[in-house]
Amino acid sequence: MSDDVRRWSDELARDPASLVFLPLGETLRRRGELALAERVALRGLERHPHHADAHDLLARIAVDRGEAERARDEWGMALQLAPRHAGALRGIGFLSFAEGRLEEAADYLARVAAAAPSDAAAAAALVRVRDALAAGPAAVPTAAVTAPERGARIAVGTVGRERPDAARTLFAEILGDGEHTALLLDADGRVLAGEYLLPDGHDIAQEVAVELNGVSDEAHRAMRHLGLGAWQAVVFETEVATVAMGAAPGGAIVLVAATLATPLGFVRRTLARALAHASAWLGRAA
Amino acid sequence: MSGVQSPFSAMLSALARHRGVTGSMVVGEGDGLVVDSNLRVGVRGDAVAALAASLYRKVRRSSHAAGFGGVTFLQLEAELGRLCVAGRGRLVLVAVAERDVNVGLLRAEMRTALEGLA
Repeated sequence: MSDDVRRWSDELARDPASLVFLPLGETLRRRGELALAERVALRGLERHPHHADAHDLLARIAVDRGEAERARDEWGMALQLAPRHAGALRGIGFLSFAEGRLEEAADYLARVAAAAPSDAAAAAALVRVRDALAAGPAAVPTAAVTAPERGARIAVGTVGRERPDAARTLFAEILGDGEHTALLLDADGRVLAGEYLLPDGHDIAQEVAVELNGVSDEAHRAMRHLGLGAWQAVVFETEVATVAMGAAPGGAIVLVAATLATPLGFVRRTLARALAHASAWLGRAA
Repeated sequence: MSGVQSPFSAMLSALARHRGVTGSMVVGEGDGLVVDSNLRVGVRGDAVAALAASLYRKVRRSSHAAGFGGVTFLQLEAELGRLCVAGRGRLVLVAVAERDVNVGLLRAEMRTALEGLA
């Protein structure tokens, strides 16, 4: 149990009405402890039923559990309580985009830009949605694939790369035709740019992002305690791939995945170039 | 260096002699406890062990869930240093190093040293 989780849990035990259930629930969610996070959020809501952040927390947990409708309900509730709640606006915006409701997504993300002008991630997402709207129906996200379909391959299919979607092809120039891919994720693990294509053309970027969400939090926590300064990159080699994650501005993450045949140094250089590209793009979007 | 000679002592000494390495440890992956260590003065062994094991566990689980399979080597780069972790079974081999360490060489040595982890 981390120091923060222990401290918040102790405080909540002393004072059940404390608002520390919010950071506690969010930390547990990011760690993937969804059942516990939900319990904390629901108990908090019993005490604070009119707190928009509490509904936002429950919505995030619902998204992680694949319960989109429930998430939409909770974010809707948050917006009734606080009509300019950036988290709820952003959440419905991303949810709408994932469901192919592009105009609705653009509307909500534009409202985020108005409510939180410094939110570079939402601004970048809005650019992506508007690109998708301009590209027409072909740019609507595909349905999630099953785990067996996902496999463990780093595919470099060409399906989708011809789309006039600046976000989706953000890293195309860097990647060329190599057996590797790159993604830009926001602080909550949502894909802002890039793609992860299977040979059949399915883009599983969001699925991969969800599973790796939390690694950067763990890296940040380790560095905070060890006094080695801010974390810059996490690189791990697996049975089938090399994955490199780097810290981008605003809590965003750039992820590069390559086949094992790709030299480690090349993966590291690709990550550095992708980070520079992503930073510039986030700056433009903001 | 811990006072008790363990089956890992020679391996850890060899890693600790690597230029830029400030500490090496064998740690339980599940509990984050130090099994054996060879640390320079000032390296907080218990904290490093717990955090390295926790990070490795998180990455291993995430990697499996994302379809990348088991993790063989992990490297965390920070402004002031690096943490390298390689696992086998229920143990992980951890090296704390300076920023400009030769990672390629350290990685190769850690992979060789992994054979010594039961």
